[in-house]
Amino acid sequence: MFKKILFATSATGASDHAARVAFNIAKSYQSHLNIFHVLGVPSRGYSQVVVDVKTKERVDVDEDYTAWVTEDIRTYYEKYLDESLNYTIDVAVGVPAREILRQAKILKPDLILLGGSTGDEGESVYKKSSLGSTLQKVAKSANCPVLFVNRPAASFWGGLSNIVFGTDFSKISDKAFDFAMKVAKTLDCELSVFHALDISALHAGKMLNQDEIEQQIRESLRKIRSRYEPRLKELKGYSMDVWEGIPFIEIVKYARDKQADLLIMAHHSRKISSEDIRLGGNVEQVIVRAGCPVISINK
Amino acid sequence: MHDLLTGVFFWITLGVCLIGMLARFIMYFRGLSWQLDRVAYTSYPAAGFKGAVRSIYKWLIPFGTYGWRTQPFIAIAFFGFHLGAVLIPLFLLGHNLFLREKLGISFFTLNADVADIFTWMAVASAFFLVLRRLVLPEVRIMTTRYDYFILLVSIAPFITGLLARYQVGEYSFWLNMHIFCGELLLIAIPFTKLSHVFLFFASRAQLGMDFGIKRGGMKGTKMAW
Amino acid sequence: MPEGKFCNKKPVDTAEGINELLSDTSGNDYYKEMKELEVDSDLLWKTIQNTVKSRMKTWLEICAHCGMCADSCFLYEVNGRDPKQVPAYKIQSTLGEIIRKKGKVDNEFMRHCMEVAWAQCTCCNRCGMYCPHGIDTGIMFGYLRGLLYQQGFVPWELKIGAGMHRVYRAQMDVTDADFVDTFEWMVEEYEDDYPGLTVPVDVEGADIMYTVNAREVKHYPEDLAEAAILFHIAGENWTVPSKGWEETSLAMFAGDWAACKMQVESVYAAMERLKPKRMIGTECGHAHRATVVEGPYWAGRKNGQPPVESIHYVEWLAEALNTGKLKIDPSKRIKEPVTLQDSCNYIRNQGLKKATRDIMKHIVEPGFFIEMSPNKEHNYCCGGGGGFNGIGLFRKQRNIALIKKRDQILETGAKLVLAPCHNCWDAIRDLEEVYEIGIRWSFLKPVVVKMLEIPEHLRPEE
Repeated sequence: MFKKILFATSATGASDHAARVAFNIAKSYQSHLNIFHVLGVPSRGYSQVVVDVKTKERVDVDEDYTAWVTEDIRTYYEKYLDESLNYTIDVAVGVPAREILRQAKILKPDLILLGGSTGDEGESVYKKSSLGSTLQKVAKSANCPVLFVNRPAASFWGGLSNIVFGTDFSKISDKAFDFAMKVAKTLDCELSVFHALDISALHAGKMLNQDEIEQQIRESLRKIRSRYEPRLKELKGYSMDVWEGIPFIEIVKYARDKQADLLIMAHHSRKISSEDIRLGGNVEQVIVRAGCPVISINK
Repeated sequence: MHDLLTGVFFWITLGVCLIGMLARFIMYFRGLSWQLDRVAYTSYPAAGFKGAVRSIYKWLIPFGTYGWRTQPFIAIAFFGFHLGAVLIPLFLLGHNLFLREKLGISFFTLNADVADIFTWMAVASAFFLVLRRLVLPEVRIMTTRYDYFILLVSIAPFITGLLARYQVGEYSFWLNMHIFCGELLLIAIPFTKLSHVFLFFASRAQLGMDFGIKRGGMKGTKMAW
Repeated sequence: MPEGKFCNKKPVDTAEGINELLSDTSGNDYYKEMKELEVDSDLLWKTIQNTVKSRMKTWLEICAHCGMCADSCFLYEVNGRDPKQVPAYKIQSTLGEIIRKKGKVDNEFMRHCMEVAWAQCTCCNRCGMYCPHGIDTGIMFGYLRGLLYQQGFVPWELKIGAGMHRVYRAQMDVTDADFVDTFEWMVEEYEDDYPGLTVPVDVEGADIMYTVNAREVKHYPEDLAEAAILFHIAGENWTVPSKGWEETSLAMFAGDWAACKMQVESVYAAMERLKPKRMIGTECGHAHRATVVEGPYWAGRKNGQPPVESIHYVEWLAEALNTGKLKIDPSKRIKEPVTLQDSCNYIRNQGLKKATRDIMKHIVEPGFFIEMSPNKEHNYCCGGGGGFNGIGLFRKQRNIALIKKRDQILETGAKLVLAPCHNCWDAIRDLEEVYEIGIRWSFLKPVVVKMLEIPEHLRPEE
């Protein structure tokens, strides 16, 4: 299931909750964990000098420095790193999203695990110059499922028992469903299939009456049944629901209601919708708000 | 004394000046190297010529370039000085009479009042150019004694000429001094910084060719001097 | 210790040599050794005698010391009008002095020359436009850099940079395989969004051969994807060479003329091998200057032209927009005050001012484009040109140099700066980092990609 995990971390407090989840999964499922840190972003023109993302200082990256940073990471995660854990640590230099994707291209992990957005990074020039945040870029372009743990509240991982799968009936959602099924089956979890009927954007300017809404809810439920139920029966338990509202809010509410340990969704926005994560697309919104880890699948 | 100055000396100085200028002018263009200068001079003669002409022409017009327009003070002093320095030696009545006697040629002559104005303008401008060298730190830092010497050599004929013109003291003394200074100037032209009187055209032409051929001219963009 | 382990007169031309230099953090030992480096006066004087001919001799001789170049130099202006920053003074007190002394100068003087040549001149050539005698001090500083490089007095980063070109034929340690792999990877990443997107490698007889800046490959590969997308949407028949794909030349900044020649010859070889109709380089100023404007001369091409017609990215983009190959969705045009940075290397030094303005007309809602003042060929250097951006030793001076561009941008009131040049882009990014004036900056490609009207048959299936 999760044989190889790529855990991209800032090795700071901002990634602590993601780290808990990362080490937890790795230990629970005997995965190989690659702890990956982009230590610096290129700076000073063509030169080799980078700005260290942690210290904000300009540094020349040479072997000594990377060795030092690697050691620093090892110390930071000392409490997790025991003999039972199969791990490696890599550091790189570059634009974080790009380097994470590059590492994923080489490593071909089953899962990429991405920490929370690194707080003050939002104000820095490095972020402004790139199109959209690390989170959006990795979610859009990764070739494997990407697991996000944005809020500390999302990091309490006591093993998996309830999974929520949010669908919008797209092709990629079907792929995401395959993945959700695989996880649920392998880990023996309950799977709740959920669709949120968007009453905000879809009918902007025109308020639907409740009959119409409920009519559509029934239709969506029928769709879920025909599309997913035959396979859901393979699981020990499942449920199917459709709620109306603003999709990302409803999904987050639903997951909370179901006490989900994991949320799985398809990410298929063609363009990075906005440079500001707070205005991002549906999946980004869920990632930012969810009370449990979120896995996004884009292909 | 007067005979000597207007006789042998005149011929020598005129010869040295003209031959010297010609030789250096030719040497300049022969010394241009397409590879060292990184300009394909001979491959695009038309583009090069156009660029060269534009480059010279624009800078000869008072306030014709950004450079002149952004620094009006020096532009005025510069043109004040150079108008006199070019017009007076060639077009003063006295000079033309002298030339006709010596060479059998003469040019158009300036009205005496106009000539006076140009001469005074040149002297006054030279004064401002000296003042500028003394006052402005960005000019002072580069100014050497050599620069003052060149200014002195170029303005001396004007000052002595004026002294003779207004007959301050002995006319013939100042006239001889004037001729002497003038000849000194002619001799100095090919061998000193005064070579700019002809190398200006060479150097401007070179940069004009550079822009005309390599730096945009052949892309159809005229340099906005 | 005349010749140091790191700092010496020998160019670096092995990967090991580069790594060794890199292992000397910030070039600390390199600069220590430089203090002991011997000046080979005979070589210096012989080189000068062989290479200072009419043009430069005359420039140095007829300079009237009039100081009219002072105000043309942004470094003079931002350094409190320090007379020592007057272009004529800078060149007379360095190159002029070396020549007057027939090459008999000492180590300390050479180190002084190094600072002047790399931290007091960006070779933007603006002063050349303001000299009545047509003296282009920038050209002379380029020449002086060559002399200094030959003697080993060159900033650490540029010694490495020039070495990179010698070893990798690229400004960074990016191999030919890295280039092709990265380009293919990027295309793969975007092919869902742009069906049919490919990167044709080594196709003979294509209309366009595209060359890039190694930094795009190394750190900003989206740029490659965007280039591919724009060629794809425009329906161009294009290709990239698997060898000779690097258009830039840090060797030019370093004054390593031999490496300059090697570098451009690698690109010309690709042109001769693939016989494209045209070569188009990425949004980089010095790359264009090196490969298209100066390169033919280094390579000994007497007509001053590369083997095939070579144009800058902005020329292609302007052409594609003007001819309708690329169509902009008017509703997506930039609707905020925006300004444009004119790169010295292809605006002042190759007259491409119209191309960039044509592009602005297409991509900016009328009324929102605000010119800097001055602009076009009279625009000031970004503050980081000529290698200034990358030199750690002169970082302080570089940050001061940014003030001019900062003030020019502030004056426009625009919060978005389009900078179709890697060096300018870097400098503007750095000026935001240093002075925090709240601006954004961008190349043209990402901006244009977002506002394209994509023809029906090239859209992804829903």
